[in-house]
Amino acid sequence: MVAFTKFSKMAEVILKDYQLLPIISRFGIKLGFGNKSIEEVCTERNINVTFFLEIVNSYHNSKYIPSRHLSDFRSDVMVNYLINTHSYYLNCKVPHIEFFINKIEKEVLKENSRNIKLLKHFFKEYKTDIEHHFLEEEKNIFPYVLLLEEALQLENCSKELISKIKHEPIEVYERNHESLEVKLADLKNLIIRFLPPLSCEDDCEHLLTELFELECDIEDHTRMEEKVLIPKVKMLEQKVLEYYGS
Amino acid sequence: MDHDDKKNTVIASEQYLVRLGIKTLLNVIGVESDLHEVNSKEELDAFIADGQKINYLILSDDLFSKHGFIDNNQLKNVSHFCKTLFFCRQKNSLCNCNHFILHSNNRKQVVEKLEQFFFEPVALSSDKDSCTLSDREIDVLKAVALGFSNKEIADQLFISINTVITHRKNITGKLGIKTISGLTVYALMHQMVKAEEVM
Repeated sequence: MVAFTKFSKMAEVILKDYQLLPIISRFGIKLGFGNKSIEEVCTERNINVTFFLEIVNSYHNSKYIPSRHLSDFRSDVMVNYLINTHSYYLNCKVPHIEFFINKIEKEVLKENSRNIKLLKHFFKEYKTDIEHHFLEEEKNIFPYVLLLEEALQLENCSKELISKIKHEPIEVYERNHESLEVKLADLKNLIIRFLPPLSCEDDCEHLLTELFELECDIEDHTRMEEKVLIPKVKMLEQKVLEYYGS
Repeated sequence: MDHDDKKNTVIASEQYLVRLGIKTLLNVIGVESDLHEVNSKEELDAFIADGQKINYLILSDDLFSKHGFIDNNQLKNVSHFCKTLFFCRQKNSLCNCNHFILHSNNRKQVVEKLEQFFFEPVALSSDKDSCTLSDREIDVLKAVALGFSNKEIADQLFISINTVITHRKNITGKLGIKTISGLTVYALMHQMVKAEEVM
């Protein structure tokens, strides 16, 4: 699979892989870009081109390995993007799914309503799980990444930071990074295999499509954190340790 | 149902220590099967001639290699009619077995191969009647939904933890549901447990 370059036309990116649509909107890119290249669109919007390409390519091709360009963009760009993604899930995808579950709940026949309530409860639990997961990253992991980069830029590093690199490096987070897709897959399975047929097939189809999309997106997001964020942080950790000695 | 039938496992080796070692490991991995030991080719033939059902046969090469050579025809005959695991010096491509434990294997490899040998058919049969859980699996699923740990379930059902884990693997394989909360929803949907019990 060929990777996109800064010379690729933005329109072609979307035409080739429509699943990249939510990604570009997370960068604040709106449609109607005519024949402009990725570089042109990114420059207009003040987006780091290298970083944009890393993201788009890793979403487009799961085997894409982004290590070559890790040092070409700043961590805050990535952290901002990841926070945007979190809020996209919580403010856009999750409400869509809730909307369809609620709609089905209203239309469903009596004998199935208990089942829908169970699914609704299950998804509520899932929502709490991901909220918790995102919050943890935003409160503890992302600030740490930014501190690392700051230490290198300002040539000033606190003892606490050095101690954190030594005792609680990003590797700890890597080891405990739990998968958020498993529960979604379960929900899909419960609906597809075990939920007695619904009268509102249309809504059920929409709900499933939303679940498939979210699962796919979160899978890519997790891969991003594991293939781009973590390697970059490891690189920063090493640089800080080298610079400030042990 | 097939799952609840008593299974017969025959351990065939001339050497007492080999038989003992295999028995001990089967216990460790939680194989629920009647174990029979035979210590010669003749005794094995007699066991088979007796019409006793053998589900699993663990066969050591010492039974066939009196003069240092393995008689492949004999081996073929024996391993033809039931699922056989061959314990030998090196792999023998002429015999019918797919399962081998080599003399040089370490503990981990031996345990893995034994687990594969015993637990693989359950996975295969799940293809046949997918989604239909056996009575035992339903017991395990109920307990999982009620929030019990593997250890607690093992104690309640008088089985080993490894057997609980195997049941759980098979349940997940059949239903396609991996998480405890997903399994709980399934159990509730099928009224295997009551909502008040789960909360």
